[in-house]
Parts: sequence; structure tokens; C-alpha cells
Amino acid sequence: MCLLISPSHAQEVQVKILANPSVNTTELTPGQLRRIFSMRQTSWPSGQPIRVFVLDNQNQTHQQLCKQILQMFPYQMEKLWDKLVYSGLGDYPTIVSSEDEMLASLKRYPGAIGYLPASTSISDLTNIEVSRE
Amino acid sequence: MNHYDRYSFYLILLIGVVTSSIVTAEEISWHGFIAQGVIKADKNNFVEDDGSTSLKLTEIGLNASYRINSRLRVAGQGVYLNGGNRYEEGPRIDYLFLDVSLLNTEKWHVNLQLGRNKNYQWLYSSTRDIPHTRPSIILPQSIYFDVFRDVALGSDGAALLLNTTNSMGEWDLNWRYGTSPIAGGQTKNLLGEIAEGKLDQKYDHHLNVFWRPNFANMQMGISLLDAKFRYKSATDEILVDGKTRSQRVMLNFLYHSENWDIAAEVMKERVRQEGALSPGFFNDSTAEGGYLQGRYFVNSSLTLLARVDLFDRDRKDRNGINLEKLTGGTVPRYFGFMDSATLGLSWDFAKNWRVHSEFHRVKGTGRLAPIIIPNTELNTDKYWNIWAIEVMHWF
Repeated sequence: MCLLISPSHAQEVQVKILANPSVNTTELTPGQLRRIFSMRQTSWPSGQPIRVFVLDNQNQTHQQLCKQILQMFPYQMEKLWDKLVYSGLGDYPTIVSSEDEMLASLKRYPGAIGYLPASTSISDLTNIEVSRE
Repeated sequence: MNHYDRYSFYLILLIGVVTSSIVTAEEISWHGFIAQGVIKADKNNFVEDDGSTSLKLTEIGLNASYRINSRLRVAGQGVYLNGGNRYEEGPRIDYLFLDVSLLNTEKWHVNLQLGRNKNYQWLYSSTRDIPHTRPSIILPQSIYFDVFRDVALGSDGAALLLNTTNSMGEWDLNWRYGTSPIAGGQTKNLLGEIAEGKLDQKYDHHLNVFWRPNFANMQMGISLLDAKFRYKSATDEILVDGKTRSQRVMLNFLYHSENWDIAAEVMKERVRQEGALSPGFFNDSTAEGGYLQGRYFVNSSLTLLARVDLFDRDRKDRNGINLEKLTGGTVPRYFGFMDSATLGLSWDFAKNWRVHSEFHRVKGTGRLAPIIIPNTELNTDKYWNIWAIEVMHWF
């Protein structure tokens, strides 16, 4: 389970960050995760393209990811994606409709990153720890 | 729309059709938007010459991005806009560039864009034509001056975009150099109906920094702009050759809370004009302006907006008295400023559908076209209103 690093938000995080087994990275800071989930960073340090999967904006796990780990509100993230897409800077992440679809996508696509409730038991994906900034 | 824009517009469509047929759906991505509204700006020519209710609030766009490999990407967006007198009606290329990823590490991202790139330097400048990304239908005119829209939107040239993080937070540094094509219609919008010559931008040099401190939910920024224009008069016209230099400094601020946000931008712009109106004409003045905007998110689909926007054409003549004197009384003093208060309401009534309505109470006509030779016949009132409602869909 990941532990949140901000003293002001010192509480148990209810989300775990997961990636496809092809991803070698096992630790990222909130700032690095923000850049990945806001679609600014598009490849892993190995050069492998990143494929970002997210749940719907209203999904509780997505809201927890934004507030607890990325330190931003879901509407901010949505506005950032809109700005990237309509000004040529980037693309939207792939929005999946359920946690089952998230799990299947993370297993299927090389370079994929996503998240699931911390209580989910996963054995065959890369677990990414959230480290201090 | 000039020939270059027309050519580029059809080129982007052609590229889109061809690439979509030869590459897989995963390599190319498409998005777009369509919006139609009703607008009325009474007592002046902001939208219609007679101030009547108008359907000239149409915005349509389609964009595509194709990743050639991990370092190269092509992106373009074509739009059709009709805003009445606010800017020239027609299709145009919003952006079309080759993006080169120079550095992509965990700490640094550096990209070079070559082609027609966007103005990423202000809070809403990069997506000012995308209805659902704007806080309001009409943006605060002190900063997002519609008459100057095409010039402020971006330029043909090069842009360098740096993004990094350190212990203080996240930083963006954007640099851009190029020129913006100015269509004939916009020349008249800027100079006046009598202008028959050609207005060209010699260069547009832009630099800005955004800083987002860690865990603060805020962003602060500073932006510097230096641009030079040249007017080449036509034979047998009243105007003469001239040149203008514009230098702008801007500060901006954003703060996000869970249910509300605040945005503010202020600017100071020095404009030096030589010639154009007459061979010996010279004017050196500094305009000031800015806005403070608050939004309240009632729930996930309903947003309220309130904003105050202030603009003075010359900081040494805030009430326009000198302007009136210098023109022998032909230009009323209310052309020296333009202040407004705005209330707005947005409702997301279905996924990717929104209806937005707003009302502006305006004092002054300092940001109405044309700028250099104001239209005093159509703009006879110091106080006026705008209301608008627009339905938008994006995909």
C-alpha cells in the first residue's frame, strides 16, 4: 500500500498506482505522477511510451487519486486535459468504465499505468510506490 | 482568410483523410467541437453594426495529432468562426506544427514546435476559441481583446516549451518567436474602414513563466511580449505608411479550491505609433488593464461566474479627456476606457454538452473595433450591455 507524503494530508491512501509488468519503474513522486496523469510525460525513462488509463471523473477512486496522491481536484485535471487536447500539446488518457476494465487494460497494454482501490489484491502488475517529492 | 490560411486549412483536411486511412486508430487521435449561440450587444457595433440580436456566434473545430515516433509528433487544428464584427468570419488554421521532443526525463520535458504554434503564455490564450475550455463566451477584453484576436492567438515560427519540477514546485517556461498573418478584414478592424493598405507583423516575441508551488493549488505567472507591425499604404488612400511597436507585461494568478476558483490577469502595454494617420504622426502611450474572476461550482454540472474587468487606453488619460481634446471632440472620452461587470451560468446537461449564458454591463467603448480610427457613428453610448447564450458540444 502506498503512503501519502504530504504532512497536511497525512492519512491512509485508499488508492494504489499500478502499471503493466513491462514497466520497470517502481517509485514515483506526486509531481512525477501529476505529469504522467496530466499527459505531459509521455514515455517511461526506458523510452517505452506511457499509456494512461483513468476512471470516470465522478468515480470515487479517481477522486481519491486526484485529491490524495496528485494533490489536485478532479475538475483541474479535466481542464488540463482539455487544454492539452485543444491546443495541440497532447491527448486525453483512455477513460475506462469500470475497475474490471482498468485491470484488464493494465494487464493487456505494455507501458500502461492506472490505479485501483488499495484494497484490491493484485499479483501480476507492477506496484508503483509514491515517494517523497 | 488569406491564401496561406486557406491553403493550410485544406491541407490539414487532406492530411487528416490520408493519414486516417493509412495509420491505425491508436496512432492518430481526433477531437473536435461545435457551438452555436445567440448574442446581443446593444447600442454599438461589437457584434452587429446596428446592435441587433445576432446568430453570429458559431464556433466549429476539428483537430488531429499523429505521433510519428517517440520524439516526433504532428498536430493541427482547423476552425470555422463567426463572431460578427469581433473578428473576421471564416475557416482558418488554429495551429499546425511539428513537435520535437528534445528532452523527456522524470524531471525535465523540453519540446520544440515548428510551424503555426499557439500562444501558451496567458491563462486562456491557447484555447480561447474552444467554447468549453473558456470561462465565458466573451473573454475579458482588457486582456483577450477580440479585435487583436488573430495576432494574439499564436504565430508562424518556433516555440520552445520547458517543463520541470524542483523542491519549490512545478515550472513552465515558454518562448515563442514568429509572425502572425493579418488578413485584410483584420487590418480594417484594427486601423479603420478607410484602410486600403496592408498591415504586416514584422515579429512577435513572447516569453513567459508559470509557477505552481507544491501542494498549494495555485499558479502564478509572468509574461513578456514584444511585437512590431508595419503598415504599407495603398496608392491614393488617405492613410500613409506607418509602424507600431507593442510591448506588454502581464501577471497572472490562479487558485483552485474544491468548489470554487479564482483567476486574475493584469497587464501594462506600451504602444508606440509612427505615421499611418499622417506623415508626422507619433503617439507613445501605455494602456493598463486586468480582471478578477471567481467561479463557484454548485455541483458537477452547474457553475456560476462573476467577473470585473477594467481597461484604460492610456494610463495618463484614464477618463479619455485628452483623447477627446486631441481629436477636436470628434472622439468622445468614453473611447478612452472600457470597464465591465459579468455574471455567467454554465450547465452541463449531458456528457460533453454544455449550455452557457452570460450578461455583461459595460462602461466605455475603448476596446471596440476599429482601434486607431474609432467608429463614433455606431458607438454613441457610454453604457451598454451584452447578453449571450451558447450551446456547445465537444468530442
